[in-house]
Parts: sequence; structure tokens; C-alpha cells
Amino acid sequence: MIELQNIRKVFNEGRPNEYIALHDLSLFIAAHQVTALTGPSGSGKTTLLSLLGCMARPTAGRIVLQGREITSLPERFLTDIRRKTFGFIFQQFNLLNGISVIENVMLPAYPLGEPFSTLKQKALGLLELFNLAHKAAAKVEWLSGGEAQRTAIARALVNHPEVIIADEPTAHLDTRLSREFMDIMRDFKAQGKTILIASHDPLVHESQVVDRVVRMRDGRIIDSGAI
Amino acid sequence: MRKSDGFWLFIGSGMLLLAAILIQAHFVARADLPLLRQKAAVVKNLGLTDLCLSTEARYTRHLSQSDWHAAFQSHPLALDHFPSGSVFAPPGTLKKSHD
Amino acid sequence: MIRSIEKQRNILDFTLSSLWRRWGKNLALVVVYTLVVFSLGSVMFFTQALKNEAAIILRGTPEIIVQKLVAGRHELIPVAYAQKISAIRGVEAVKDRLWGYYFDPVGQANYTLMVPEAIDLNDNEIVVGAGISRVRRVFRGNAMVLRTFDGRPVNLFVKGILSPESELLSSDLMLISATGFRRLFGVSQNDATDLTVKVLNKKEIPTIAAKIVDTLPDTRAITRDEILRTYDAVFDWRGGIMIAILAGAVLAFLIFAWDKAAGLSAEEKREIGILKAIGWETTDVLQMKFWEGMVVSLSSFFLGVILAYFHIFYASATLFEPVLKGWSTLYPDFRLTPFISGYQIAILFFFTVIPYTVATIIPAWRAATIDPDVVMRF
Ligand SMILES: Nc1ncnc2c1ncn2[C@@H]1O[C@H](COP(=O)(O)OP(=O)(O)OP(=O)(O)O)[C@@H](O)[C@H]1O
Ligand SMILES: [Mg+2]
Repeated sequence: MIELQNIRKVFNEGRPNEYIALHDLSLFIAAHQVTALTGPSGSGKTTLLSLLGCMARPTAGRIVLQGREITSLPERFLTDIRRKTFGFIFQQFNLLNGISVIENVMLPAYPLGEPFSTLKQKALGLLELFNLAHKAAAKVEWLSGGEAQRTAIARALVNHPEVIIADEPTAHLDTRLSREFMDIMRDFKAQGKTILIASHDPLVHESQVVDRVVRMRDGRIIDSGAI
Repeated sequence: MRKSDGFWLFIGSGMLLLAAILIQAHFVARADLPLLRQKAAVVKNLGLTDLCLSTEARYTRHLSQSDWHAAFQSHPLALDHFPSGSVFAPPGTLKKSHD
Repeated sequence: MIRSIEKQRNILDFTLSSLWRRWGKNLALVVVYTLVVFSLGSVMFFTQALKNEAAIILRGTPEIIVQKLVAGRHELIPVAYAQKISAIRGVEAVKDRLWGYYFDPVGQANYTLMVPEAIDLNDNEIVVGAGISRVRRVFRGNAMVLRTFDGRPVNLFVKGILSPESELLSSDLMLISATGFRRLFGVSQNDATDLTVKVLNKKEIPTIAAKIVDTLPDTRAITRDEILRTYDAVFDWRGGIMIAILAGAVLAFLIFAWDKAAGLSAEEKREIGILKAIGWETTDVLQMKFWEGMVVSLSSFFLGVILAYFHIFYASATLFEPVLKGWSTLYPDFRLTPFISGYQIAILFFFTVIPYTVATIIPAWRAATIDPDVVMRF
């Protein structure tokens, strides 16, 4: 599904604070699987996810998404691919404060120009799925951690992405909520979605749902996991 | 109702009101023509030269008749204590003599 | 097509939700900006209406006015000058005018005294403008006491009040007979305030005016064209009020633009980052900012223009009254004819809505071009 070929990512290239975050890294991510990235802090998990999700470009190397080379595409196309293919769940949830839950969920779909009523129906459906329908009109800052997390997941799903990318999704959750999150991921996997999770939480990479654990250290893959 | 629809409604009514104002102004201006003619007749009959906008100083009461330049004269742009003096531009006669 | 409209509606929806979060601040912005539009609009409507009105009603003003100057000041002119002017070829008629000012300590107001040609008055009669009638509470049949140049009181009977419709011309007028005028001010039979000249061929007005000054070097000649031109340019952009209000508006705008350009708040930057991360393009973000500017400035524009219209044409330009009235107590109660045009409104639009919107978009440009992956590190 996604293939990384000799990817290098250098931050602040050519400056004294130059930092090589990823060294010649190659990886193939299969479709319909749950892949977990793990490794110590600073090992490059987030960096790798942002490259996989077309949020950033590698300094060198190629990324092939569904047989299409995407590293050299202009921003517009990249954004278009990104919003149709990937749904992101961020560590800090990154919801917009002061705006209602349902609007937060609909936000990624706004630029696509979908009719408002179908969009609203879709967002309501997602909120129902996560037991949040009664909170649709509430402001996000009033939500509990678990509710905020589920809102963030609903938002990641609103454009029907094939791939879900989650960066440290359980960092702010207790054990029960973390389990709940992994249960949701299981359902997605059952629906045939491809899932990428970066986490140092053992609860995640030891979970039954995860098919493959990729271990990283210092910008390199030290164990690409059994496929 | 969507928020954006509310906004369009607001802008739409603003535009309608503006259009109404323009049309209304047009008709009032037309209806005022006899009145303007009447005022023009007053000017002609009394031999008036200026609008009575301000009565506090003679150079703002009779703007077109104000004195020509000479030191310390009462010129509309001179710094003075009459508020209206700062409002008006100097009369055409004065400007002409500057050219 | 449908999609791009729907997209703009969606983005506008979000913009409004977003603005609503800080409704206090945004309302304050709308209020300030409405005031700016209102002031600019008021000045514009007022000056334009006055110009148009003056151009129509002052068309009947004397063709040439000849005034004597002494030491740079307007002085009484000898009536004998009229013969010398009559001798100039092309002059049809010369008439002497008597007019002047009278400061009334009772009403604390200045009146313009004038001897009309067309109205017959006996020596103790006057006709007063509606403004005088209002300030002094005198009506038809009342008497007014004025003091002559040498301190004697004279009783004058109000024969009539000038029509209130013409207050913009005649509010402070007091029409009096020639004898009454001369008695009041001590002007001798040999002098007049100035002379008016009628010319046979209107095209020759400037030539004849020049000839008059040539013949009588201690005089000046004011032509009808010059009077009309005076009112055409009376409130040009260098004029006091224009400068004051423009400066105010520009200042308000600069403060605002500076505030914006000083950078978006960290919160705003974060939000733009999030939008980019969840799939908004740079142009989508800029469109949102465009709507943000439009919502504030369009609202202000409509409110300001409509308020300005009612201020000028239905409330006698009340806010300009203090400055026009100045230290005087007499202010004409006039209703201007609403000469407004789509052109004026377009100008107002371009000077208010466009700069505001641009000033909203430009600072967002940098924030909108950040890489979306930054969001993963918030
Ligand atoms: N924009 C940047 N400029 C410079 N260095 C950066 C930048 N972004 C990331 N880095 C560096 O790259 C390295 C990898 O960062 P990354 O966030 O990918 O690590 P991580 O594995 O996700 O760590 P964690 O588990 O703590 O989230 C870190 O040392 C980080 O300091
Ligand atoms: Mg990380």
C-alpha cells in the first residue's frame, strides 16, 4: 500500500543545528493491517508518520502510495491525496476550541464542498457511533479526555480515509480508555482500513489487534517486524 | 438555518436597503427640483453670493468674498479661533491668484 | 460550480463560528469600523450634496462683483466708480450693493444685513431669515431693537420672515431699506459695499473683470465662475474636516493593520496549523481569512453608509453642527437635497472594505504556508 524507499529526513539542513531524523530508511506497509511504530523518544516515529501521511516531504528517497510516486507532487495534489486517503489522530487531539463538537468533526470535509445536509448527516452518524450524539452541540473544551479522543477519531473518519494515522493516541488516556481505543481500531481493521499507530505504550503494541510492530532507534529501523 | 445563510440574509438586506436609499434619493432629488429653483430665485432676487453654512466669521459666512492675501488677514486656512475656519478650502479667487 | 459555492458556504460557516468565539472583540471591531465608514460617508455625502446644491442655486449670483481694497481688506467703494465701469465696452449695467454684518449682543449672533433690490421696505421695516426669527423669537409684526453705529437704538418692525425652505441661503439674513442701512451703519450716500456688474456677452466676463481691475487698480473683481468654483472645491481633501476625518480613519486603519501585522496570536497560528493538518489547503485557509475580513468590513460598510445617509439628509448633519456653527449661536436648519450616486458608494466601498480585507489576509499568508507536519508537534 505505502512504500518508503531509502528515505532520509534532515531538519535544518546546512545549518549548524542540522539534524538527521531519519537515515536511509525503507519500509513497506501493507494494506488492511494494523502497524505499530515503537521506539524511544526522539527515534523518529512522528517524523516517519508525517512522511507517510504526506504531511511533509522527505529530504531524499521516494514514497510510493498505491503504486503512485508522490514525493514530487505539488502541494495542491498532495493535500488532495492527504485529505482523501488519510485520517489523522493527533497526540494532543488538536480540536478547535470554542467550536461545537459536530463542527469540529465536519471541518476536514468543508473544503471538499459536500452539500451541508449530507455532511451533517455523516458527522452525526459518526458521533452516534462513538456515543457522542448528545454532545454534538457542546463546545469541545467541555469534553472529557475520552470524549475529546472520540471526537478526534470521528473527525479523522469524516472523509472516509483508507488509512488512519494515530500518533501516541493513548498518551492522555487511562488504561480503560486506551483499551477502548484499541477496540475501536479493531472495528476499523475489520472494515478493511489500514492503520498506523506510533506509540511507546506497551498496551498498544502488545495488543491483539496489532499485526506488526516496527521498532526504531536513532532514525533507523532496528526491527521491521514479522509480516 | 445555517450561520452562512444568516450572513447572506444580512448582507442581502443591507444591499436592498442601499439600493432603496439610492432610488429614494433619486426621487427626492427630482421632487426637490422646484425647491431648488425657488432657492435659485432667492439668490437671483437678493443678489446673494454664498451659502449660509456658518455665521461666526465673515470669511466663512461669505466664503467667496473673503479678503485676499495680505499679512494677518482673515484667510480661511489661517490659524484662528473660529472652528468653521478650518473646515473650508480657500475661495476660487484666492486660488487663482496663487497660480 | 455547485461544489465550489457549497465550499465557500462551508468555509463561511466556519468563519462565522470562529468569529463568534470572540464576539466581544469582533463586535468592537465592527463598531469602530462602522464609525470610520460613517464619518467618511457623512463627509462625502455632505460635501457632495452641498457642491451639487450650490452649483444649482448659485447660478443666479451676480456676474461680476467689484470691491474696493484698502491695505488688503475689503472697504466701502465710492458709488462714483460705477460710472467708470459703465464706460467699459460690453458692460450692460452696474449697480451698487449695500450689505454688511451686525453682531447682535442679545442673540449672541451675527446677522447679514442686506438691502434688497426687489423688495420694497420703508425705513423702519425689516424682513428676517428663519434663523434670526428662531434665535431672537421674533415673528411677523414684532419689533427688534438694533443699535446704530453711534450707539442710538432703532426700532425695526418685522414685516415678514423669509421662507424656511431657503434657510441654507437666508437663515441669518436681515433685509432692510437703503436708508435704514445707511442710518444704522453711518454709510454715506457716496459709498456702497460693492458694485455688481452685468455683462452683455457672458463669454466676456473674465475679460471685462480684468479691464475693471485695470481701470480701477484699487479694486478686485470676483466673477460668477469663481464663486461657483469656490463651492465646487470648498471641501476638497485638503480642507480641514476632510483632513481631520481622513487622518482619523487612516489612523484607525493603521492601528488595526499594525495589530494584525504584528502577527497572528499563537492560538490563531495553531488553528491554522490544525486546519492544514486535517486537509485544508493554503488557499482554503486564505479564503477563510478573506471571509473573516469581509464579514467585519461588509457589516460595517452597510451600517456605516446607511447611518451616514440618515445623518446627513434627515438629521441636518447634526454632528457637523458644532464645527460649522463654531462660536456662533445661529445655525441654519436645512434639509439638503440627497444628491448621492452609486459612484460615491463604490468609492466608500473601495476605501473601507478592500483595505480591511486585505489587511486581514496578508498576515495570515505566512501562517497559512506552514508545513502541516508542524501540527504533530504542538
Ligand atoms: N522541525 C524540527 N527541527 C529540528 N529537529 C526536529 C524537528 N522535528 C523533529 N526533530 C527532531 O527529530 C527527532 C525525531 O523526532 P520525532 O518527533 O520523530 O521523535 P519521536 O520518535 O516521535 O519521539 P517521541 O516518542 O518523543 O514522540 C527528534 O530528535 C527531534 O528533536
Ligand atoms: Mg512523537
